[in-house]
Amino acid sequence: MLPLDAAAYTNRWRPRHPGEKALLSLGLLVLTLVLPTWPGAAITGGVALVLVLGPAGLPPRALWRAVRVPLGFVVTGMLPLLVAVGGDPWLRWEPAGLPQAAQLAGRATAALLCLLLFAATTPLADLLPRLNRLGVPPAVTEVAALTYRFLFLLLESLRAVRDAQAGRLGFRTWRTSYRSLSGQGAAVFVRAFDRARRLEQGLASRGYTGSLRVQVAARELSPAFVAATCLLLAAVVAATLLLAPR
Amino acid sequence: MHIAEGYLPPLHAAAWAVASAPFVVHGARAVVHQVRTDPDSKLLLGAAGAFSFVLSALKIPSVTGSCSHPTGTGLGAVLFRPPVMALLGTIVLFFQAVLLAHGGLTTLGANVFSMAVVGPWVAYGTYRLVRRAGGGLGVGVFLAAALGDLATYCVTSVQLALAFPDAASGVGGAMLKFGSIFAITQIPLAVSEGLLTLLVVRLLVRVSPDELRRLGVLPTPPAPSATGESTAKEVGA
Repeated sequence: MLPLDAAAYTNRWRPRHPGEKALLSLGLLVLTLVLPTWPGAAITGGVALVLVLGPAGLPPRALWRAVRVPLGFVVTGMLPLLVAVGGDPWLRWEPAGLPQAAQLAGRATAALLCLLLFAATTPLADLLPRLNRLGVPPAVTEVAALTYRFLFLLLESLRAVRDAQAGRLGFRTWRTSYRSLSGQGAAVFVRAFDRARRLEQGLASRGYTGSLRVQVAARELSPAFVAATCLLLAAVVAATLLLAPR
Repeated sequence: MHIAEGYLPPLHAAAWAVASAPFVVHGARAVVHQVRTDPDSKLLLGAAGAFSFVLSALKIPSVTGSCSHPTGTGLGAVLFRPPVMALLGTIVLFFQAVLLAHGGLTTLGANVFSMAVVGPWVAYGTYRLVRRAGGGLGVGVFLAAALGDLATYCVTSVQLALAFPDAASGVGGAMLKFGSIFAITQIPLAVSEGLLTLLVVRLLVRVSPDELRRLGVLPTPPAPSATGESTAKEVGA
């Protein structure tokens, strides 16, 4: 299982309505982008971090496992701002880019934490069927839901194929690596379509008429949570504007 | 190349979302229409989406010793056509954002534009051109995947350059900067992706020709119904 998906099903906010969690985390995310990065990003990032570890109850280890790769991208993304191109020498270190790079890293880290607050608390199976209410056509959400169901099976197949190839020294040289990789790609393709065909036959034998009905657990929107979220977002805006250097 | 969450200023993020919206809506309408005429295609589209997601989990060896992953836009565009890829790509990028924290929600529009719109169209255009000029399936697929990958990276460079212009030389200098930094890693990766896609398609021609015919990549043989029925009977028996 993917760590974020596992977290989404096991955290304390799982029973909450996805709309509440979206309002809170996407609200913080938008504020991260719109408010001045300093101190805005520090406040929104801090709030998201406290919420995801505290009330949502995500273990710090799981959080770290989810953020370490994206944090690596944040760091590599800073590098281009620290060099200048053109002139003499053609590629050179540019210390003047440091404030902008630090600002970007702060904003990206805070935004990542806000995204994680949403991703680690909301299972896609809860979210996708509700997107219809926002005007996404049912055909599109159903294709997305099928993609979601298939992709774990395929990732599992991919892992099995990769292990089998590794056990047979399939990654010993470049030549064998390419052959093994093309085998992985083709195996996943064949299995994906085989799965789809089998699902098609299974559904046809149960009277498939074109709509896939799944049970969506009823969740109540909590007015208290929504009110608290609005208050928190207002407090973040106020704190940022008060603390912002003039 | 995914632009990470929070990287783009709000105005840029919104502008790229507006730029990709028509393509995604067009793709969604194509999918809705297709699903209405053939309800079974919904399952195939789901499989295609999952395939595109998993494709980006493959690790291609790269020159620097590290690994990178293919964008998969070239193969997707040749197999499923660019309009459908615009929607499937959007779904895949959304899933990558919320399942892997790779990419982001505010940068979804920019990522969709580079990876689900420009990449697939360049790849598909290249593929059609090569095929029309009499090139073989292999050459077409290789060039489609390699150029689709490169086009994706060029667009990403432009997006980053517009957001972070160089202090001295402006947007042009920044474009050169991001472009040259990516070029070192991307040109070998694009060739690598082209090669891998070529091998995958060659393998598929051998093991799964029926699916490729259904997707229109391989020409339908002269008497498709007769052979189709006989295999169906054999399988049924």
